[in-house]
Amino acid sequence: MTILRKIAVGYSVVAALSVVMVAWLGYHEFVEEPAEYAAKGLPDLHQDTAPEASAVIFCGLVPVLLGCGWWWLHRVLVPLRTLTRAVEELDTHNLHQPIPRTLNGDEVDKLTAGFNTMTARLDRSFQQIREFTLQASHELKTPLTVMRGQLDGALRDGDALPPDQRQWMESQLGEIERLGKIVDSLTLLTRADAGALTLQHQPTELGELVREAVEDAQILAQSAGITVTLDPCQDVQVNGDRHRLRQLLLILTDNAVKYNWSGGFIRFALRNAAGNAELRVTNSGVGVAAGSPDRVFERFVRGENAQAKVEGSGLGLSIAKSIVTAHGGTIEFESEHGKETRLTVRLPATTKPHETSGGQLPEGAI
Amino acid sequence: MRILVVEDDKKTASFIAKALKEEGFVVDILADGDEALAAIKATTFDAVILDIMLMGRDGLSVVRQLRAGANRTPVLLVSARGEVNEKVEGLNAGADDYLPKPFALDELIARVRALLRRGGPAGNPTLRLANLTLDTTTLVALRGDRKIELSAREFRLLEYLMRSAGRVCSRAMILEKVWDYDFDPGTNLIDVYIGKLREKIDTRTDAKLLHSVRGVGYTMKEPL
Repeated sequence: MTILRKIAVGYSVVAALSVVMVAWLGYHEFVEEPAEYAAKGLPDLHQDTAPEASAVIFCGLVPVLLGCGWWWLHRVLVPLRTLTRAVEELDTHNLHQPIPRTLNGDEVDKLTAGFNTMTARLDRSFQQIREFTLQASHELKTPLTVMRGQLDGALRDGDALPPDQRQWMESQLGEIERLGKIVDSLTLLTRADAGALTLQHQPTELGELVREAVEDAQILAQSAGITVTLDPCQDVQVNGDRHRLRQLLLILTDNAVKYNWSGGFIRFALRNAAGNAELRVTNSGVGVAAGSPDRVFERFVRGENAQAKVEGSGLGLSIAKSIVTAHGGTIEFESEHGKETRLTVRLPATTKPHETSGGQLPEGAI
Repeated sequence: MRILVVEDDKKTASFIAKALKEEGFVVDILADGDEALAAIKATTFDAVILDIMLMGRDGLSVVRQLRAGANRTPVLLVSARGEVNEKVEGLNAGADDYLPKPFALDELIARVRALLRRGGPAGNPTLRLANLTLDTTTLVALRGDRKIELSAREFRLLEYLMRSAGRVCSRAMILEKVWDYDFDPGTNLIDVYIGKLREKIDTRTDAKLLHSVRGVGYTMKEPL
């Protein structure tokens, strides 16, 4: 039972008891007493007032009082509802924004103040973790650079090295490279978390970038016999960072190729829908079992089918989501287990809907 | 060719210097930004490899000061900060190229060599290498008399390789110039494209023009 309901019930019980009491008093005053007086032959003291008028006043007053009470209750609970909404909207990105206070010193205001202090403390901890990650990434780069450079140098003048030693060094080099990539991805994600992903915004024709991504997808998918189509490809402009948007498209393309079947398909579709550039990438493949679709955006989480077979860091979709969010858009993952997977990206568009071209790329285009 | 390496981590400076010396360059090493600025103003270097995080003045500020003083010495920035738009920041400050740490030595050398060739004739609309001709205005590619059909991307790739003929183009350099990527895609995209390109220009002939450079990238050169 909500507080509102509890108070309302209490209030109604009190109101109902009052009505009963008033009714009884009224009955006693206007009906019993005059009858008693009349029986005793005494003059009726209420003769100058009409009993009907009093009854109307009493009866009318009750709903008015009830209404006022209801309105007052609602008013008192408004700050509580505001607080609830604000708390619901809180996440790691907006912890630094305090919830507005009424400053009237009531209980809810004090609760808000306490809550703001708590989120400020939390925000400081998150901030410290981010700063630590960035600092750590940077500190890791120097030893990585030295390790890579020295191994590289040794391999360059290591023509006389025994083959197994050479192989071992090359494998080390590969691992150092991988470590470097993970550190880079972590830096990017940490920046994005702090809302400090610096974007070079400029009007960008998304269609052009998508067409190029599709051409790359066709090249990458060819050896696996995967069919790649683009339909439709509506002209739509977004205000975005070209490099990050290319990175986003590459992540989507690469995933669609990697988590596919040989002989499968990838369907790209770019639409201008309700002021948004809506890009869909659908691919055949095992997909993700029900229950975990949203987890694909979490860091280092990979589909169970991906664990063994496909090479990757498990950071691709996290980066994709960060890029989309930094552009004020949304990304959605749907998967029909054992059949297909679809990623839908919506980015705020800057032009009106206007379809120009579509369809499968001509065969000669590649 | 004399190259200045400005790097405050001794080990990093030393392996860079060693590799450059092996390539036949004369190398000077400095660790301080202010000293580097003074040295570049006082001595003529053919190129400068400049770390961004330095003791004293930082690398970006060194480049800005140089360019403000109309000094055009080619500068390759290297950085461990790993921020996505640091490259844009560096190029805006006046640097000629940017390489994030950690990097492969061959990558560094390929980029230094590209810097040294900078300013060559780039405006020529018709590129020639042996009997391969690429007309960048009519978008026609010919190997001898045989016309070669190329997609837009393949054309841009071939144009870039031909403009850099004789020197090694690393995969990262190709990605930057042809794909406009400033990140490592982690795919074999380039190798697949090169394979297709090679099929189109180098099959049916023994005089191969397009060559792989193991572990680095690709190069185009006249057949021996």
